Amino acid sequence: MPLPVREHVGTLAVLAALTAVACLLVSGLPRAMQASFDQALRRALTTAPAVQADLTVAAEPYAPTEDLHERAAFEARGRHWREALPAALQPLVTTTGHMSAKTVRTPLTGTGGATYVNLGWLSDADRRVNWVQGRAPGPPSTTRHEGANIPLIEVGVVDEAVHQMDLRIGQTRTLGESDYVAVKIVGVFKAKDPRDRYWTHNPDVLHVTKQLTRDGTIELHTTTLMSDAGLAALSSASRHLTYRWVLPVDARAANALDVPHLSAAVEDLRRLVSVQVVSTTPHRLDTGLPKLLGDFSAALATAETVMYLVLGGLLAVAIGVIVLGVRLLTDRMDHTLGLARARGGSLRQVAGAGAALTGLAVAPAALAGYAVSFLVPGPVLLVVHVGPAVVVVAAVGFAVARVSLAHRTPLRERRDDVVAARPSVRRITLEVLVVALALAGAYLLRARGLTRDPFLLFVPVALTLAASLITLRCYPYPLRLLVRLAGQGRAAVPFLGLTRAARARSASGLPVLILLPALGVSVFAAVISDGIATTQRLASWQQVGAPIKVTSLGIIYPSLVEQVRALDGVEEVVVAQTGRVQLGYVAEYAQAVAVDVAQWRRLVAGAPIDLPELSGGTSALVSPELRGRGTFEIGWQSRMRLTTQGVIDSVPGFHTDGKFILMPLSALPRPEVNTLLIKGDASPAELARLVPLATVDTQERALAAIREDPLTGTVRSTLIVVTVALGAYALVAVILSLVVGAADRARAVSFLRTLGLSDRQARRLTVLEVLPMVLVTSLAGLALGLGLPPALGPGVDLSAYAGDLPVGDYSPDLLTPAALAAGLTVVAALGAYAHTAIARRRSLGAELRVGDSS
Amino acid sequence: MNPTLSELEARAARKKAAFGGDAHIVCDNLVRIYKTEGVEVVALQGLDLVIDEGELVAIVGASGSGKSTLLNVLSGLDVPTAGVARVAGMDLLSMTPRDRLRYRRSVVGFLWQQTARNLLPYLTARENVELPMRLAGAASRKGRAMELLELLGVDSCANRKATEMSGGEQQRVAIAVALANSPQLVLADEPTGELDSETSELVFQALRTANRELRVTVVVVTHDPLVSEQVDRTVGIRDGRTSSETLRREDAEGRIIAEEYAVLDRVGRLQLPRDFMNALRMERRVRLELESDHIGVWPTREESSDEQ
Repeated sequence: MPLPVREHVGTLAVLAALTAVACLLVSGLPRAMQASFDQALRRALTTAPAVQADLTVAAEPYAPTEDLHERAAFEARGRHWREALPAALQPLVTTTGHMSAKTVRTPLTGTGGATYVNLGWLSDADRRVNWVQGRAPGPPSTTRHEGANIPLIEVGVVDEAVHQMDLRIGQTRTLGESDYVAVKIVGVFKAKDPRDRYWTHNPDVLHVTKQLTRDGTIELHTTTLMSDAGLAALSSASRHLTYRWVLPVDARAANALDVPHLSAAVEDLRRLVSVQVVSTTPHRLDTGLPKLLGDFSAALATAETVMYLVLGGLLAVAIGVIVLGVRLLTDRMDHTLGLARARGGSLRQVAGAGAALTGLAVAPAALAGYAVSFLVPGPVLLVVHVGPAVVVVAAVGFAVARVSLAHRTPLRERRDDVVAARPSVRRITLEVLVVALALAGAYLLRARGLTRDPFLLFVPVALTLAASLITLRCYPYPLRLLVRLAGQGRAAVPFLGLTRAARARSASGLPVLILLPALGVSVFAAVISDGIATTQRLASWQQVGAPIKVTSLGIIYPSLVEQVRALDGVEEVVVAQTGRVQLGYVAEYAQAVAVDVAQWRRLVAGAPIDLPELSGGTSALVSPELRGRGTFEIGWQSRMRLTTQGVIDSVPGFHTDGKFILMPLSALPRPEVNTLLIKGDASPAELARLVPLATVDTQERALAAIREDPLTGTVRSTLIVVTVALGAYALVAVILSLVVGAADRARAVSFLRTLGLSDRQARRLTVLEVLPMVLVTSLAGLALGLGLPPALGPGVDLSAYAGDLPVGDYSPDLLTPAALAAGLTVVAALGAYAHTAIARRRSLGAELRVGDSS
Repeated sequence: MNPTLSELEARAARKKAAFGGDAHIVCDNLVRIYKTEGVEVVALQGLDLVIDEGELVAIVGASGSGKSTLLNVLSGLDVPTAGVARVAGMDLLSMTPRDRLRYRRSVVGFLWQQTARNLLPYLTARENVELPMRLAGAASRKGRAMELLELLGVDSCANRKATEMSGGEQQRVAIAVALANSPQLVLADEPTGELDSETSELVFQALRTANRELRVTVVVVTHDPLVSEQVDRTVGIRDGRTSSETLRREDAEGRIIAEEYAVLDRVGRLQLPRDFMNALRMERRVRLELESDHIGVWPTREESSDEQ
């Protein structure tokens, strides 16, 4: 039969636009998400120190026979490791990379263990360093020391060592305390690019390392560089010598989908390396890659869960709105199809016509949306293909079902206007079943967590559906009560409007089924997003404990504290001492923080962290692991007795787990301050310069670090996109439902106008008719959106996005959700108002005749 | 003498002559009850009707008398609750949905009162006529459509859409649509309800043309008693039953004579016209007397009870 394309061009265009947008979102968002997951992985791999991300095969030769004295021998073994790489790792490992041989803790003879000059060889030293003084080292020779011939190796030292360790060109120094080797310093080098990640493999070469010993002296360590020829003189005999083959991981080749394979491949490689056959020296694989990947996977799993949850909601709502559009189309085709059916069209022909017209609008639009989604950068996932197909199938399927049901019998004798439809027992049973399943699912979800069972992903959907059904079923009752009240008043409009709302056909449930999830999911997204933001702030405070925290390896003397107080921007300084203390007289230790808690409380007033009060000179707050000890003795500088005043879960900025004690600083007889808690906006660089051996943490920097994580960014931006999209869909749903009921409403209004209804009354009538549904749905959607996070909270672990703190505080900002719901209601009311105002232009006769023919 | 068992069996096995015989349309004790949410509406309460092939019949009755329900039953759009409804030998009560579809495609054509409802507004007249043929999958549609439009005198409208035609033209095109698949029966529900008398005349002319030229049985439902002047036979319906018939014939001088008859049903029931009863104040019961060539009906009188 001929398709009335031109007749319904407007509706078809609306349907096409809705489909194209839905397909673009459904295909594009997962791609963008996956792209950002990949980006997050790459970032995680590139920002991690190379020494963690790269694969390093290391070996300590246990006998001189196992020594490698030539570059070629290193290269041969390096090739062997590359060939042993599992297939999953092959594309990830770059062909560059380097080898090294370095000794550790090689003492400078006669320094009493205070200065260490290690021997080192880097296979790519010529590419990594510039010789700023002297020349590059040459081949080794021998020299005499204490009457014996010992090897003399030409080495270069880093420029830092020249100043700090008094090593100069031309010096020949003897190394070792019993088995000697001599080094001749022939050159001074500087890294070509000291910030290259490469140097995390060899920080000992680039910098002089200072180590504080237990007795308070400072050890200096440096690692020199020798030539390839020097290797011949480098022996493992009486030296701690380590060989390393570094296989760098190219983060650009990594993608998030491969993460599970990668972890397995690293484990394979670890096994292979430990059972290698190239040498009798045991080799091992040193890498932080599995941990990096593991941390990433944990964050990713949650991100994926949340994303697919909200995307699922978005897809459901998008399909709902499209179905509403299809309904509008089939309603408008009703006359055509009814006539065709009466004139001898079979059900298949009629349903086929409905499907064809729907398909004509939906299929090309879906294809267009699908095509445009390929402009979104990101890998192509299965859902990219399946999403648009689901949309098209849903739209065409609904068209077929609706037309088939409507025209099952050629002549319809419907008297919906006379009697209220009574729901069938079967339908009520089904609805009760859905509600029961949703509640059971929610219980399971809380009990078992979201990630273990993919079926539980449907729980939020089921809960939303259950809420929709309950709303749908229950909202006419209070309305009828209102109708009864309105009936007793004198005004006709409230009575008529509410009566029409209460008697609306059951099909008017479709907008409820769309609006409620739309609002529910968008409010859910807004609340989760808010919750994450709040928890991130809390986490940053928990991490630092004060606006600025300065921690020093040494003691910060009172004079220095006064200097800090005098710095620009410093408002207040609280001093603290941390340390490891012995509990009683046994080998049990705890971390202690001694601080004036009252001052600290004043310092962080207004921040989201909460510190309990500590009263009494020797009372202490202890971690849960130390509870129940009453008065106990500790050894910290001297013995002292502390009385447990209470239990705290964490000391913000210091300890969150294990055994810890928070005690007053005044309890210590001789406080040795090593930590400063500062309020104000002093420059961290200035503080770092002022206090020696100090690290400076600021709450703002910690917060930025938590927020900067690409996964966190993706989660939040996707939540925002989905909130906006769902808000838009909710509006479209309201407008479409207005248009769907337009003919019927126009007829009723026209009829009432012949009875003397004024234009103003007509507009109020329409608003009153639409408003109860939108109002009730808004409130139910708001309640659902606010209720979902606490209901599902224990099942969804969002801690990865909030600095590892569980996101649990979902109460806070009601503004966004309430604004969403209120905005929707207002726009719906305005839409209804405008709609009647436009309908007024039509003549009464036309409307009434339209009504007659139905 | 009492009949023997074998005689009774033979009598039971013997087929009675069916009501209406092999007439084109037979309705026997037809009942249609609508039930919506517990409210029952009896639209047809045991209606009897026989229409022969090639007849042009009007069914008249007041609003709510059940005439549209009858038409919907006859057009295969609605299924009666009980009784017999047979059209062209097909039993309308026992048809499968597939039979019903075939019936609507090839046995019956119809038109509604609203001119706009008969035609798809976005198709031209010719395309509208072709639509039922397309639905039935018939070939050579174009020629047939033009033939029908010519026959009904609306060939000039072939390429015009419904909105570009007058009401009368639209109804005549609608008749062509109804005739598209060469049905044996055309049913029209108030086809002139929205038209003035002059245009109505044209539409009836077209129906008569279809009836004469194509040998199609035509049943017109209307509440307008004057339509009886346009058709051979008028059947009146009251309260879901046939009550009267008016036959129209030409006398020897060529004048048209319309004679009204009361309908006698199969068990001998008869509806007396209400004005007859009022004139003679007939109430509750009447007296009947069998004469040699007629039956006399007398109102009951006081003295008659005295005579008893």
